[in-house]
Order: sequence, then structure tokens, then C-alpha cells
Amino acid sequence: MEFLAETFRTALALILSLDGEVVTAVVTSISVALWSILFATLAGVPAGVAVGITEFPGKRLVITILNTLMALPTVVVGLAVYGIISRQGPLGELGLLFTPKAMIFGQTILAIPIVANFTLSTVKGADPRIIPTALTLGAGPFQSILQLTRELRFGIMAAVIAGFGRVIAEVGVAMMLGGNIRGYTRTMTTAIAMETGKGEFALGLALGIILMAVALLVNLFLNILQQR
Amino acid sequence: MNALYRLIGIRQSHGERTVLAIDDLALFPGKLYTLTGANGSGKTTLLTLLALLAPPTAGELRYEGEPVQWTNAALLGLRRQVTLLHQSPYLFDGSVFANVAFGLKLRGIRGDEKQRRVEQALELVGLPGFGQRRARELSGGEAQRVAMARALALEPKVLLLDEPLANVDRGTSELLEGVIAALPERGTTVIMTTHDPEHPGRLGGEQIHLIAGELACPGFVPEINASTGFQTEGVSNRAYL
Repeated sequence: MEFLAETFRTALALILSLDGEVVTAVVTSISVALWSILFATLAGVPAGVAVGITEFPGKRLVITILNTLMALPTVVVGLAVYGIISRQGPLGELGLLFTPKAMIFGQTILAIPIVANFTLSTVKGADPRIIPTALTLGAGPFQSILQLTRELRFGIMAAVIAGFGRVIAEVGVAMMLGGNIRGYTRTMTTAIAMETGKGEFALGLALGIILMAVALLVNLFLNILQQR
Repeated sequence: MNALYRLIGIRQSHGERTVLAIDDLALFPGKLYTLTGANGSGKTTLLTLLALLAPPTAGELRYEGEPVQWTNAALLGLRRQVTLLHQSPYLFDGSVFANVAFGLKLRGIRGDEKQRRVEQALELVGLPGFGQRRARELSGGEAQRVAMARALALEPKVLLLDEPLANVDRGTSELLEGVIAALPERGTTVIMTTHDPEHPGRLGGEQIHLIAGELACPGFVPEINASTGFQTEGVSNRAYL
């Protein structure tokens, strides 16, 4: 018990003293996750809306695939992207492996099905009168879809935040594609895994506390938005 | 006078079922038409067709003498002349002002002109000063009036009204009846569905009666079904794109 209390005190001290290693890992984590979620939003939201409002052969299959991809293990994504960007892979010449860009690549793939699926659910549950109303008031098809997304903005924001939660907390992609290089690709999660393995439990705990705080802040933000 | 709408051999089917079958019907500009018929007689289907939201399964619809081209580019210009007010209208999240100004913004009407038209439309429906209220916090009757103001602000050539007086109190109904009856004088063609047997007589204009999707014989006394409900059947975000 004394061990845990002491570790907790050390972890708090590390956070409060803005320990360089902690700060770097936090900044890397957040910046990689933000870039990933930006790209995932640009791909996932239009995909979710498109599947939601159109009828086409094989729609059920697409939805089933999207659902399956939501549960994609991070190490599988890491493995697949590793194959693509490693020296012998099709994108090997770009030299992406073990860079933040590689992590963004992998985490974007991880987040797209989540953003697309949550967006799709929101669109499916939308009031059926939104698009007809916009059209009859003079909107074109694109403008009416834009109005639909405006009406569903909180649901779509929730989709984006769910995707952010997935990428900020994942460790497989960050470890396999980033390589956990200190001060460069080391994120909160890879640092926790490594430091705990080394027996540096306090540093791991400090990062764990920050990770939880980030998750809490993101959800509070979502809550505030939904109450507006 | 040239017809505004001409329906020739129109058939509208949902799967195997034909819900609208009109061989020939001409509707003229600047007139008021009341559209009557029992539930399921095809009134809303006809309005949806006239609003250019769904092409007919068969037949030809002409607007101002020209056959309607069911392409997005051609429809946009036509839809901006025709406005449909649904029986249970949807108000967008935001202020009453933003709702009434929605179609004006799409038409590039901004600044003082937009302000003037929104205020005038709200005044017409008896809701002056409601601009800053949140649309979602209005009562059912107020929402109906805001939706009417949103349509009136566009000064459309054709106003299609689906049971506009069904869910409002007596005072609001009288107010809206006055507004609707005055529209043809301003050059707006009004086509309005109703279940109220007194509306055709009280509002004037011509009555079109549908029985099982077909035009009833002239002089037919309509059997009125007084039940009114929120109809979302056939309405969908994906159906119109």
C-alpha cells in the first residue's frame, strides 16, 4: 500500500514539475491524435453521410464491413501499414517508418471506421424531414446535405470525439509504426508500456493520469457542446 | 390563360401500388385550389409531385408549358419558385429569424432586404418580435406559423400547403386562413390540402377532390375524413436526392 501511495506522490510531482519527458510524450500524443482525427473526419464523415442517405446494391455489406473494421485490432493496422511503408513496401521510398507521419497514417486508418459508423448511425436516426425541407426552400442537393450535417452536428462531433478517444489511447500502432523514439515518436501510451516494463512505475502512472485527464476534458467539452 | 401546371397521364406508384393516377389536370396561375380527399387518397403524393420533389413513375408534368426535366440542375431553378409547407413542418435548430431567412440566404438575398422580408413575414403570421426566439422552444401552433412565415418570405410563385390549419388553434387558423386567401391577389398560386369540409367554400377558389389517387367526377360531394395525423410516410432524407 505504501508503495502505491509513494508512487502516486512521485507521479504527481512529475506532472507538477512539468518533467521534460512527460511533456514531450503528452505533446506528441496529442498532436499525432489531432492530425489523425482531422484526416479521419475528412474521410469518415462524408463516408458515413453518403452511406446513410443513399441506397445502393451492397449497402448492407458495406455497413457490415464498417462495423467489423471498428473492432480492428491496433496491431493488425500496425502490421498492415508497416508492410506498406517499410523499406520494401510500396511506399517504402517515402521513409515514413518510425516517424510521427507513420503514426498519423496508422491512427487515421484506425479512426475512419469509428467516425464513419457513428456518423452513419446519427444520419440513420435523423429526422426524415430535414432534406425535403431544405430542398423545398430552394437548397440544391449539396446544400441540403450540408444542412443535414449542420442539424446533426452534435452527433457528428460525438463521432469525431469517439475516434479521438480511440487513437489517443491506442498503443499498437504508435509502438509499431512510431518505434517509441524518445523525444520524437514516444507517446503517452508507448511511454507507459515501456516505463512500466522498466520498473519506472511512477512515470507510467504520471502519464496514465494525464491520459485520463485528456479523456475527461474531451468528454466534458462534448457535454458542454451538447447542452448548448 | 396558360396553365402553370399541366399533368398528363401521371402515374405515381409505391412498389406495386399505384397511389396517384391523373390523366389530365391543368392548374392556372394566381388561383387558389383546395385539394380534398380521404386519408391515402394521394393528396400528399400530388403535392410532393407539384413541389418537384419526386418524379412521377409515368406521365408528363409540365410547368409553365415546358416539360419538367428531372435533373438536379434544372430542378433547382424550378424549386426556387415553388415552396411546400408540410403538415408537420420541420424547423431547423437555431433562431426563428435564421429559419425564416434560410431560403432567402440561398437566393442571395441579404442585408436590409432579408431583414425586411423576415420581419414582414413574421408580422403576417402574427409573430412580430419572435425573431430571436429559439425555434425548438416554440409551441406547435407557433412552429406552424414560423414555417408559414418561412415560406411566405420567399414570395414564391406557387405555395403548396399540406393541411396547414390542421394542428393550430382557432385564432391561428382564422389568421392563417386570411393570409392564405389573400395570396392569389399577390400573384401566388396556392394549392392546399384540407380535411375541413368548410375550407373550400370559405377560402373560395377551386376544389380538386381525389378518390383513391384519381380525380373525382365534377360535382362529387367529398366524403370527409376528419382524422388528421402527423404523416411522415414516404418522407425520407434519402428519397429526394
